[in-house]
Amino acid sequence: MEERLKLASRAMQAGMLSIAVAGLVTANYTWLPASVLSLFISVIPSILRRDLDLVLPVELNFWIVFALFLHVIGGFSGFYDNVPGWDHLTHAMSASLIAALGFVVVVSVDKYVESIHLPQPFLALFIIMFTMAFGVLWELMEFSNDQLTGSRLQYDLNDTMVDMMFDAFGGFIVGIAGAHYLARTTPEHFVDSLRAEGAKEKISRFLEKRARSKGGK
Amino acid sequence: MGEKERVATSHFSGRRPDQLLEAQLSWIASLVLFFSTVYAVLKVDILWVVFGIAAICLYVLPIVTMRNPFRALPWEMTMLLSAPLLLHISAGARSMNERFAWWDDLTSLAFAFSLATIGFLLTVELQMYTDVRMNRPFAIFFVVMFTLGASGFWEVGEYVDDRVFGSNFLNSNNDAMTTLLWTLIGGILMGFVYDLYLRVMPKKRLSTFGLIHFYEVSKWRKG
Repeated sequence: MEERLKLASRAMQAGMLSIAVAGLVTANYTWLPASVLSLFISVIPSILRRDLDLVLPVELNFWIVFALFLHVIGGFSGFYDNVPGWDHLTHAMSASLIAALGFVVVVSVDKYVESIHLPQPFLALFIIMFTMAFGVLWELMEFSNDQLTGSRLQYDLNDTMVDMMFDAFGGFIVGIAGAHYLARTTPEHFVDSLRAEGAKEKISRFLEKRARSKGGK
Repeated sequence: MGEKERVATSHFSGRRPDQLLEAQLSWIASLVLFFSTVYAVLKVDILWVVFGIAAICLYVLPIVTMRNPFRALPWEMTMLLSAPLLLHISAGARSMNERFAWWDDLTSLAFAFSLATIGFLLTVELQMYTDVRMNRPFAIFFVVMFTLGASGFWEVGEYVDDRVFGSNFLNSNNDAMTTLLWTLIGGILMGFVYDLYLRVMPKKRLSTFGLIHFYEVSKWRKG
């Protein structure tokens, strides 16, 4: 299963790369920045793994690449305009992705910050509100972009509200699934599986080194 | 004369006049909140009923658990909680809305303040009654995030209300986005305010309310 997910992630990354190349070759630059940026974001987990030894769950890794891939291929192939509900699908995908990343961060914070303790029901509430808050920020970003540059990222009230409903939906799914997942494994085990301890040490060693080299000068 | 009555009167004995005045202000504001919520129930205004009940619960919880009417929330917080509901139901507000363009922005800002207050009360009361623990930066982040998230759910709720029950909350995308923009501004502002709030409040006043903020009690450790 894990191998298959990894293979699928690689295939989608190859897809994004080919979209970038195709855009470059055919001088169709509209989606070039988005595809290059998405490709870059999709390799961040690998960079984290190489440099910090921080391991995100394979499923999460797959989800990141999948959400980015849907966004890029949707833009490139015109699915945003031609496939009804494509916009909402990508919204739900990216909302659940934000929720999942928020989940990873907040569980790590719960473990490593001494003065913070977050029981599971509160974690679920936190994730749901976090995702919605992010969705609101996103819509506000689109709105101000429309106001300032005259672009048309937001169509109308219906569209915005349905977007936000899908954001909420993604948040609910991840919030509840996350609390359920932790109920089975314990937060300690989850954070250990991220190998965040080693990453923390690497970061602090790096910071120490930098402080020392600065002091030496 | 039962035992209970004597206990009840003892809460009042030895109170300074300013304490009594503060508590009375808070009770009055909470009555406004209560009757506005009753009004919203009679009007079947579901969203505001939910808002009112949530605010009343947060208000009543310390009073009931400590059996002391002086544990009422600080009056300024109670007023912030009840202001948007009062603005929403009063007929005067509606005519103001038609007369002044900025009235709508004002109510949005008042709403943001009350949402932030609910978020702040959540951080305080969750730490008082459950084993949730937060430090200061996390609590402030939670207040701002809660304000934004709750207003997002609120807008969606208004939209659904419009669609299902034919109410008329949201006229246009511009409308909804302006409200959200004001809640962003109000939320960040109140994040700063509540960061300072318990720090600058005099010790005596703080002890009357019995609001404990665990990040002030630095001894707490996990385990």
